[in-house]
Amino acid sequence: MNYAVFARINKGDDTMYIGGVEAPSDRLARVYAYEMYDEEAWDYLAVVRDEHLLEVAPGTPAVEGGSA
Amino acid sequence: MSDDAWPEAAVDYVQAIADTKLLLGQRYAQWSLAAPSLEDDIGGASAAQEEIGHVRQLFRLLEGQGRDGDWLRGDRDPDAFANASSLDTPGETWVEFLANVGPADRAAWFLLDAIDHDDFRGMVDKMGEDEYFHLEYHDARLETLAAEQPEALQAALEPSLAGSLGLLGPASYDEDADPVFEAGFTSRTVADLREAFVDHYESLFADTDVSLDGVDWDAPAEDAWDASRRRADGGSISDADLVLLRGSRNEVFAIR
Repeated sequence: MNYAVFARINKGDDTMYIGGVEAPSDRLARVYAYEMYDEEAWDYLAVVRDEHLLEVAPGTPAVEGGSA
Repeated sequence: MSDDAWPEAAVDYVQAIADTKLLLGQRYAQWSLAAPSLEDDIGGASAAQEEIGHVRQLFRLLEGQGRDGDWLRGDRDPDAFANASSLDTPGETWVEFLANVGPADRAAWFLLDAIDHDDFRGMVDKMGEDEYFHLEYHDARLETLAAEQPEALQAALEPSLAGSLGLLGPASYDEDADPVFEAGFTSRTVADLREAFVDHYESLFADTDVSLDGVDWDAPAEDAWDASRRRADGGSISDADLVLLRGSRNEVFAIR
């Protein structure tokens, strides 16, 4: 499974997308992210399965007019 | 560092932790370009660096207790290393490697975390931050291997778990018999650590196809156990390992 990795350096910073990892389980994804992105002393580091990301744009359909 | 001399049994106890970490660093490094994924490679390389960092700190403390620095860093025979027996070889497969390093790393951490002495304050907390991710990695990887290759993993775990129990010490080392605990150097007995170790692995594999019924949970036999090397089988690393640990072939590059 593919995971997106998000992090912030300091409390109050925006949480940014910093890369991805591929892992067979959520538990391993957390460890891989910790080991692969250890260039900073992160205040916050998180992984999200790609399939759990809800796409907002592009592709959001225009609302249809009420013709019923 | 305190001016106090540790009890002799405690010096051997810390030596076994340090030597096990030295071999863990070596085995992680050997597999760090041969793992099944880039993520495993990077994780192994990172763990190798962290283990060797721990070794440097522990060797510094052991030198303070009279152990010779050159001897610690490799000027000794293979059978003078007190590493967990499961680390005597790198393992022939990725499954064997994981089965060997996981329990050995956990046993070494249990021994280190049990130390209750001023010389280790703060240092063990920092090592624990590294170890959390080492042990989490092992367990997560062992879970995937239990699903993918249960028979191979079971076969590899049987000698490995018994060897790590040897590093922890004999089952009879309770409050009345554990010399390091009795000396006040540790806050938990070997018997207590063993119970936590066994519970951990029984729980980890409880809902998998890996059976631990073949593991010798009573190991090591106390009458065969070498207290200074914390093992019962008399084995050791190889001469080839010693060349790598000493860095003999790279001496020409040393900065003096």
